[in-house]
Amino acid sequence: MAISDQAIGFIILGAGIVVVLGLVFGIASRGGGTAGRPRPPRGVHLPGPSMLPVVFSLGAFLLGAGLAFRSDAQLANPFLAIPGLIVLVAGIIAWVRAAGREWRETEAGPHDDVAAH
Amino acid sequence: MTTRTATADPHTGHVTAHGQSAMPTALLGMLLFIASEVMFFGGLFATYFNARASAAGEWGPPAGAHELDIVLAGVLTAVLIASSFTMQFGVWAIRRGNIGQLRLWTGITLILGVAFLLGQLYDYSTLGFGLADGVFGTTFYTLTGFHGAHVFGGTVGLTILLARAMRGQFSARNHVAVEAVSMYWHFVDVVWIAVFSTIYLLR
Repeated sequence: MAISDQAIGFIILGAGIVVVLGLVFGIASRGGGTAGRPRPPRGVHLPGPSMLPVVFSLGAFLLGAGLAFRSDAQLANPFLAIPGLIVLVAGIIAWVRAAGREWRETEAGPHDDVAAH
Repeated sequence: MTTRTATADPHTGHVTAHGQSAMPTALLGMLLFIASEVMFFGGLFATYFNARASAAGEWGPPAGAHELDIVLAGVLTAVLIASSFTMQFGVWAIRRGNIGQLRLWTGITLILGVAFLLGQLYDYSTLGFGLADGVFGTTFYTLTGFHGAHVFGGTVGLTILLARAMRGQFSARNHVAVEAVSMYWHFVDVVWIAVFSTIYLLR
């Protein structure tokens, strides 16, 4: 029995889901145990202004537009989807790095106990 | 002169000032997120009902395509409902401080979630109509696809929970992430019951 192109696409998508979850498990499993785990300091901490959510949204918009505005023979419009995917992935990586940096700076920075009450 | 008092929540270990019982920030954030998601899915359901009301008598898969597989969808519904129970068993286990059972139930929940996703993809592959095939095709894939994306988000959360549980990062006093992910997972489950009822039962 021949497998349709559509079915192959869904098989790839299913395999991708399992691979992504495996990667997430691998990343989340790195590092030490409970003792070395950082804890947020007391007080109120707000994130600073950032363009990264806008960059992320722009990438998602371009990718979505690439999936929507395509010819029947295409999975996606490459002129929209490829730049969109690049911007989206770059945005995610930059956002995760910025969040990690912010966390470390919050731990190391000065803290006012009054803010906790 | 003022005196300060502090109390700890028995479930999460979250310390609050002045003896007030406050919800941990992560749980409050999750509740607000879920509230925004309710509005989001509300819009999708409104679109579906509106499109269906406008297409009187001609609602369903396009001509030549397969009918929706209600048996498979029913099995997937049972899988997702079962996963809500296993998730809650995990929450109850860690409230008792039993991290071994948390690992077990989180692992089972994750397997059920992935099984649901793969089942949904299999269902898509056999339908014979696509996103661009009429108003029904568009609304069907949008509603079930966005729900599937939320299930995928939930499985990512469950995977992180499982990895952290394997490293022993949760206890009876410190497990707010487990409570937050469980809230989200129950929400995703309830939304699927609404999606299933709307698309498959109210024909």
